[in-house]
Amino acid sequence: MTHKKQRTSGLVGNLAWLLVNYPKSVVIVSLMLMAALLTSLPKLYKDTRSDAFLADDNPALIYKNKVRVQFGLSDPIVIAVVNQGEHGVFNPKSLALVSWLSEELANLDNINSDRITSLATENNISGREEGMDVVPFFDDLTEKQSSANEVWRQVSDFPLYMGSLVAHNKQATLVVAELLDENNVEETYQQILSLVERSPKSVGDEIHVAGEGAVSGYMGSYIDADAQKLNPIAGLVITLIILLAFRRASAAVLANVIIAASVLITLAVMAMADVPFFVITNALPVILIGIAVADSMHIFSHYFDLQAHRPEEDKKRLIVETLIEMWRPITLTTLTTVAGFIGLYFAAYMPPFKYFGLFTALGVAIAWVYSLVFLPAAMAIIQPTASKNMAKKAKQQGHDQFASLMVKLGKVTLNNHKTVITVFALIMFSGIFAASHLTVDEDRIATFHPSERLYQADKAINHNLDGTNNLDIVIEANEAEGLFEPEVLNKMQALQEFALTQPNVKGATSIVDYLKQMNRSLNGGSRDLYQLPTDKALIAQYFLIYSASSDPTDFEEEIDYDYRVANMRVQFNRGSYQYTKVAIETIQEYINQQFNDTQVTATLSGRVNLNYHWIKDLGESHFVGLAISLLLVWLVSALLFKSFVAASFALIPVVSSLLLVYAAMVIFGIELGVGTSMFASVAIGLGVDFAIHTIDRLRATFKQTQGDWNKTLTALYPLTGRALFFNYIAIALGFGVLTSSQVVPLTNFGTIVFISVSTSFFASMSLLPALIKAFKPTFISHAFQQGEQNIMNTQTKTQSPSFARVLRSLVTLSVITSIGYLALTQTAQASSSPEAIEIVNKVNNVDDGQQVTRKLTMTLTDKRGKTRVRETLAFRKYYDGEKRTVLFYKKPTNVKATAFLTFDYKDTAKEDDQWLYLPAMRKVRRISASDRGDYFLGTDFTYEDMMLEGKLELTDYNFTKLRHESISLASGESFETVVLEGTPVSKEVAKDLGYGRTLVWIDTKTWVVVKADYWGIKDKRLKSLVMGDVRLVNDIVTRHKLTINNHKTGHQSIFEFSDVDYESEVKDSLFTKRALKQGK
Amino acid sequence: MNRSTLIFLGATLLSTNTIANVEVSSIWQSEMSIAKGSEIQKFEHVWKPELNMSLSSDIDMTIIGRVLFDTQDNLGYEGDRLDTASSINGPLWEGDNFDMEVREWYLDTEAAGVFWRLGKQQVVWGQADGLKVLDVVNPQSYREFILQYFDDSRIPLWMVNAEIPIGDDDSLQLLWIMDQTYHDFANTGSDYQMTSPLLVPQPVEGIEVARFDMHKPDDVLKDSELGLRYSKFLNGWDLSFNYLYHYIDTPIFYQQLTGGEGSDLTLEIDAEYKRSHLLGFTAAKAFGDWTLRTELGYSSASYHLLENSKPEFITHRGIAKSKDISSVVGIDWQGLQDTMLSLQWFQSSLFDIEGEIGSSLVRPKQNHIVSFMYQQNFANENWQLEALALYGIEHHDSSIQLELSHMLEDNLKLWVTADIFGGDSSTLFGQFNQTDRLSVGFEWGF
Repeated sequence: MTHKKQRTSGLVGNLAWLLVNYPKSVVIVSLMLMAALLTSLPKLYKDTRSDAFLADDNPALIYKNKVRVQFGLSDPIVIAVVNQGEHGVFNPKSLALVSWLSEELANLDNINSDRITSLATENNISGREEGMDVVPFFDDLTEKQSSANEVWRQVSDFPLYMGSLVAHNKQATLVVAELLDENNVEETYQQILSLVERSPKSVGDEIHVAGEGAVSGYMGSYIDADAQKLNPIAGLVITLIILLAFRRASAAVLANVIIAASVLITLAVMAMADVPFFVITNALPVILIGIAVADSMHIFSHYFDLQAHRPEEDKKRLIVETLIEMWRPITLTTLTTVAGFIGLYFAAYMPPFKYFGLFTALGVAIAWVYSLVFLPAAMAIIQPTASKNMAKKAKQQGHDQFASLMVKLGKVTLNNHKTVITVFALIMFSGIFAASHLTVDEDRIATFHPSERLYQADKAINHNLDGTNNLDIVIEANEAEGLFEPEVLNKMQALQEFALTQPNVKGATSIVDYLKQMNRSLNGGSRDLYQLPTDKALIAQYFLIYSASSDPTDFEEEIDYDYRVANMRVQFNRGSYQYTKVAIETIQEYINQQFNDTQVTATLSGRVNLNYHWIKDLGESHFVGLAISLLLVWLVSALLFKSFVAASFALIPVVSSLLLVYAAMVIFGIELGVGTSMFASVAIGLGVDFAIHTIDRLRATFKQTQGDWNKTLTALYPLTGRALFFNYIAIALGFGVLTSSQVVPLTNFGTIVFISVSTSFFASMSLLPALIKAFKPTFISHAFQQGEQNIMNTQTKTQSPSFARVLRSLVTLSVITSIGYLALTQTAQASSSPEAIEIVNKVNNVDDGQQVTRKLTMTLTDKRGKTRVRETLAFRKYYDGEKRTVLFYKKPTNVKATAFLTFDYKDTAKEDDQWLYLPAMRKVRRISASDRGDYFLGTDFTYEDMMLEGKLELTDYNFTKLRHESISLASGESFETVVLEGTPVSKEVAKDLGYGRTLVWIDTKTWVVVKADYWGIKDKRLKSLVMGDVRLVNDIVTRHKLTINNHKTGHQSIFEFSDVDYESEVKDSLFTKRALKQGK
Repeated sequence: MNRSTLIFLGATLLSTNTIANVEVSSIWQSEMSIAKGSEIQKFEHVWKPELNMSLSSDIDMTIIGRVLFDTQDNLGYEGDRLDTASSINGPLWEGDNFDMEVREWYLDTEAAGVFWRLGKQQVVWGQADGLKVLDVVNPQSYREFILQYFDDSRIPLWMVNAEIPIGDDDSLQLLWIMDQTYHDFANTGSDYQMTSPLLVPQPVEGIEVARFDMHKPDDVLKDSELGLRYSKFLNGWDLSFNYLYHYIDTPIFYQQLTGGEGSDLTLEIDAEYKRSHLLGFTAAKAFGDWTLRTELGYSSASYHLLENSKPEFITHRGIAKSKDISSVVGIDWQGLQDTMLSLQWFQSSLFDIEGEIGSSLVRPKQNHIVSFMYQQNFANENWQLEALALYGIEHHDSSIQLELSHMLEDNLKLWVTADIFGGDSSTLFGQFNQTDRLSVGFEWGF
């Protein structure tokens, strides 16, 4: 049939003809669009930290980070040496191994070498006549068993270390290593594993690596490996199903293109939106694979059916007919699925879940677009023919085995509709009962398969020692040295003792233990004297004596330098929410009622507290999300069917499936955790599709059969039933693949989605028709009476769907999309604290001269130690509205005569003007000044760093004051500083500057910045800057040496200023393009 | 060249004995190129000493010399080419594979509120890279066509260059050029000899060239050139208005057929240089990550070869005179760290063609070239990758230059480059289609 015979088929028909008449252009544009978006994919980055589950502004997270900074405590990596021999680990070889491990760990880049705690690093406190001896336990360690015995004697006599560092049964001891940068833990964990591999183990020694640091470190690669296995399996399963359903390779290939578009574009958009790939994002590709294929399966199903029945017909025409018939149900199901996932977005309070909802919704929408645009065009090129089997069955008016199967299901259902309704009613009631018995729980270690080494290490350590899960209690007195007050210390002791009575709490350490040990040592060593001293002066003296006889930094983990803030670390041997909840709630209550007063306060922090906070609302969040998703899906369905009753019917199969899942979870003991709580939105979004296809089809058939209810219901099964069956099989098997995952929460998730999708399908194919048969609802018959057009009607070939309906669908889709977009772009606004603003103003008001002339020598050193030196002459002068800076390169010869000129305007809205003179071109080149975060001419300073010259920009950062700190620099200079933390005011500014966070140390005498640390956008430590040689020149405080280390590249830049002169005249003519060319 | 230069040089050097603040530096460059067919095209060594000294508190002097030595003889130095250098310019010494010259020699001073640069120098006008509309103050050496760095290929001229600051950010530049040196084309028979009919007259079978005369205006005063440029900085825009009264640096080959009727037809060629007024305008500004660079030039006269098969070839002695408007619009993008992308569009449009013989021109009346440049820095600018592609829209010819360079040490740069031409041999870039080459080289500063 030629195009001339086209009949106008309304808007959709015309658009469809457009697609099949220009198929190559459509295919090329679709593929190019995909390719173009994919270029951003490499920017996608992983964030597998537990902390990522909480919003950056969550108070518990902020407090935990504060504690981390204050006491240098991270989520440590814990290494246990276990020996079950006669002397346990207290034999010379095992102890030597502990010593070796401690030393080797200190050499690792990301390990804080001052914060390694082990028998090899800790000291024994013992008394002697003239005072106190603080001596390392290993001081006299020899190769003899007797010396190992002596260590055991000392340690076992020091209650602080028993349980926390050494097992009571002698069989295990720990090496605890704090991390410098938790973001790099993955690499560090691998380094530690290799360290363990080559460690000098002797007979009987076992080494286990665990702790929250190790969990984070292994999680990323563990999940990666899993995803790499799952995704291909899911793709393969789907391909096999399509091959089975249609016996056509082209169908399988095209469906895979749509899957690829949906998954890859979604990930690319995530990359563009700067959203990281979280732990749970691993489920996204698998889910999208299952969902994305559904639309194309419905299109293929109809097309091949038409083709089998009318083999002589022009295939393009058949494609157009298929589109006219299928666009509406496909769009309906897409809208409801999107609504389900957007519901998750709104309900979730944890960023990974929010983004999971949002981006899955996006992926579903992309699959919809590609199924309706790319697929018909590609089919028009390939022009596939139905399989011989299908053609034969069509000729014989028969059904294939799948259609026959569905017809049988139909017969059973319709003949026993009351029984069907009763069975489902029972299932739903039991589900309601079960839902109230659901347990919320989450344990990070349980993410790993029990066969994993890390899982076993965790078990071993928690069995032998106090535990790997830490709760930090931060005690703050209201004034410096407030912690010397015996009253305060007694309260701390009481709190510590109380904490120890709590379930699963195995140990607790604080400064109290040290004081008690010191008291005992200084008073003859009797165990009875293991108690707190009673006199404030005495306590102060103890600290003094201790610091005199040992390393003054020994207590940094427990107490701050002015004895105002202390940390108490409580250890749990179980990390899960259920096992720590009671203790946390009880301790918090104790603190509120018996501890906090005007003199001293305590605040919970640490990993265990953080986990408690993000899990405690999981159950509530789950049910709220469920309600929102159901409501959205219900509203969208109502809008599309123009009937609230129809929408309510559409939800029945889904609700029944949800309730069955709850029942199953209670029966199989699956807890509602991070992985499993996501299932509801997925189940709703997917499950409702079956019901929508069913209702839409029934409405259409009812009209064709002239209002015959029985014929209508029977006709549902062979075609729609068969298509939905394959749709179901694809999704069910797609999620079924997850059950083979090694990531335990994903296995659980896959299992329950499998159950729920199966239930939804069977309910849509049995319960729903049964209910319709029983109630004969008007939303089906009404449609007929109104003579409304229905789209799934295969007999009337060319209808024109009303423009209004198309419009309505598009409006709904765009509203949902815009809500998603708005949700994505919202950013939190905060601002600098008044205290910080005052400090910043002081810094910015420091006189840096109206003008300056100086020599600047830049020494650039790469990570291999190769050094490059550039000598320049620099001038700077303030004008009314701007600051002008010019830099002339003098050496070496190769860069000589290069010059750089900037006009930096006070008006921040006005972009700076910059010019560069390159001698090789002999031309002054105008350069873009917008990239403030770009590195300045090969150094580690950014253009913005160069412009600011140590000033702070309030319009870019929100500053908060963190603390006062005395710092000593490598140059020997020391400063009393106040430390400000700056966070960029928005994501855009952060991106612009290239910094996600900065800490600045400001000398409180001169108010100049003397040190600064910078973190990248992904909160990885990026650079640190140290100033040196700070002295007065012409009465102006001048920093003569700036050393900046780039931790990412290992590159270092040192800027040394010499011949600084604020008084000599700086001519205006220097700041011209002529001067750039002439070099002066 | 020339005794006068030597005397000036000697006298100045002698007079600086007592002066402090002398800076001497040098650059050594060696480059080996392998052309198509894996023959070594050049193995060239260049020494560029530079002397900067302060003659007094407000007079500075710069001398840049160049000694060039090539072990191969594919590029050629001496002989068999037009002597386009003026009487006061050109090499001090020139051998077969050897060349020694004072490239630049000038004094800088500020007097009467004016910045003076007096002597042999380069002056660069315009905003475009590689495509020249206003950058015509200095002639160019085409010894390696367009493959040499501009700094090396531009021929410095003796001139007075005065820059008068006006207000805070504006200035007026005056140029008085006494040096009538013209473009220096590659030797006949060398690898980059121009052969395209767009640029040089084409031999016609059976017609001998009976005479070739070159008429080179070279009077220091009478033939001197004048340039004016007003630069303005306005609301972030760099603007300039340019005027140059100059000799076009390409010779105009007037061709006269003689003989016939019994005797053999012969061709007489007169190579002449003609003056033109060039009026120009440039504008540049950065917008976020984007930088816009534009230049526009109007020439009151330009001369172009005619097809030798057309009747107008005889009546107009092979040359058409016309006016020309040329422009370049360039956009740079620096949206990614360490990356620059630059796209330029060059157009030249001939109009008001004398005798209305435009249809007989070898070149089209409208000529367009687009250029694309990609520059990527790595590892704190120690590595740089640069790709420059030029494409002639009318003739479908192209030039691609790729360069990867590395700063091995502070003063040692290594590079490998590939220069690839494409297109028909009658076209601008295509004429060197057989001369694609790969080069490696280093530059050492000391």
